[in-house]
Amino acid sequence: MKFNEKTDGLINFSDLKKTRFKLLYWTMFAILIFISLICIIPILWVVISAIKPMDEMYRVPPTIIPESLDFNVLKNAWQKVQFGKYFLNSFILIAGAWVCDVFFNGICGYALSRLKPKGTNLIMTLLFWTMLISGISMVPLYETFVTLGGVGHFWPLWLQAGCNAFNVMLFRNFFNSIPMAYIEAARIDGLSEIKIFFKIIVPLSIPVIMVVTIFSVSHQWSNFMWPYLLLGEDKIPVAVKLFMIDSSENIMDNEKMAIMLFSILPPAIMYCFFSKRIMGGVSMTGIKG
Amino acid sequence: MKNNTKKQFSGAFPSVFKKTLKRNMPGWTLLLPSIVLFIVIVWRPIIVGVLYSFFKLNGFHPVGFVGFDNFIKVITDSNFIKTLFNTFKYVIWSLIIGFPLPLLTAVMLNEMLAGKQYFKISTYLPGIIPGIAVCLIWKTLYGEGDGGLLNMLLAKLNMGSATWLADGNKVIPLIVVMMSWQGFGGTLIMYLASLQGINQELYEAARIDGAGFFKRFTHILLPHMSGIILLVLVRQIISVFQVTEQPLIMTDGGPNGASLTLGLTNWRYAFKFGQYEKSLALGVVAFLILIGLSIIYHILDKKIND
Repeated sequence: MKFNEKTDGLINFSDLKKTRFKLLYWTMFAILIFISLICIIPILWVVISAIKPMDEMYRVPPTIIPESLDFNVLKNAWQKVQFGKYFLNSFILIAGAWVCDVFFNGICGYALSRLKPKGTNLIMTLLFWTMLISGISMVPLYETFVTLGGVGHFWPLWLQAGCNAFNVMLFRNFFNSIPMAYIEAARIDGLSEIKIFFKIIVPLSIPVIMVVTIFSVSHQWSNFMWPYLLLGEDKIPVAVKLFMIDSSENIMDNEKMAIMLFSILPPAIMYCFFSKRIMGGVSMTGIKG
Repeated sequence: MKNNTKKQFSGAFPSVFKKTLKRNMPGWTLLLPSIVLFIVIVWRPIIVGVLYSFFKLNGFHPVGFVGFDNFIKVITDSNFIKTLFNTFKYVIWSLIIGFPLPLLTAVMLNEMLAGKQYFKISTYLPGIIPGIAVCLIWKTLYGEGDGGLLNMLLAKLNMGSATWLADGNKVIPLIVVMMSWQGFGGTLIMYLASLQGINQELYEAARIDGAGFFKRFTHILLPHMSGIILLVLVRQIISVFQVTEQPLIMTDGGPNGASLTLGLTNWRYAFKFGQYEKSLALGVVAFLILIGLSIIYHILDKKIND
């Protein structure tokens, strides 16, 4: 370990010459390893259980690490539950919600940040407060959707994604950082506000759009409450199906695990590709509140 | 003189009006769709919810003003105090389990010379799993009898199997452990970002002045982090206060109501028992408590961002 190169942080190379700081360093390292194991083991457990053959699952005592692997469990579980259908439903839900999320919250954030018409402050205050209070209006909102004929359709969920105060603020904060001179110059060149938005603002906003996209997709993938309330059996997404499988009798334990694995895989793959962006997004929202 | 101003004003008014309209039109046009959505989906339901909580409802139609009757019904319900108490128990446990750990881990992780990326990725992994799947995974970990992973591990250590979620005293901390497991990585990354913003020269200066490890920790690190720590704290309190999904999936409020929260009771009133009045009244009660908490958040956020 190159202790003498450590020039930053709470403990630096001069501390690390002493034995007790070396000890502290390795203790911390051990604790971190332990913590990361706690984070990973439950997930590994799902993966292992999903490919564990049936007889090992029900043996007394059951094996923790399987003696043999049975990949047919995955295939059987997929076919038995007709999981493809629910994946498609999730996909439709995510696609529509994503479009609404980026479009509506984006233009709202833009107007609040750059055009600032009369009433901006009022709207900002209202948005800030609604950002924090979400649970109260469940029944009236459900009734609204019933009245509008939204039960059994995806569009209420899409529109719900279209009014996310948190993302409006995220967009607004980002647009605030775009130099006003770009927009002034475009105005002088005679571009309309709509054209300015699509030709100048949108290309500059790819980073924030990416962050919102990732949040939107992962949120919709795990969205449970409202799809559960609004959608019928033929339209429910993966998350709701998981909930239903949990209480269903005729699905074996290892098949349940296989299905859980299916629900973990898509976000895990997304995470592999975008881990930097996801973490950047998390810290960005954390600091900007 | 008076007449004159009046005349001027009335003459100027339409053109001022036109000017305002012209200046604000593009902004208003862009805001319009969002405002409509927010009114229909967010603001109107809140207002209607508060209003209707004072009425007797038939289905969802108000049929008579009843004053505070609904509130009295909800608050005098034999389970209300227990539920409120439970909800705060969730919050307190989440402060004990879920709050210090990410902070300390972030501080430790920031000192590491190698493996930072590995630790970051592995601790954030639980955060990407859908909430439902997290609940179901932990349900199998906490499984009673021989099937649960924790009981299997206990058996390997030659200890008898324990009851987990079925134990009314353990159920809340166990659910909180699961929630902390899921949220851990996200909070950790926020703290890390803040830690990286510490001016290293401060440490250098402190060292020259002879400040030891703990002095550096309490006089440089903690003051720098206090803003984000407070934000995370209040945000966590607010979000744990509204917990609904986790007890619904893990235990459905059981055993014997030991893990019931305000959020879940509200959900039950609304979608299990169809008692809309009670659900609305309880929603308002929770709303008032949340408003109190939100005001604190708002003040802190202003202080920190300025």
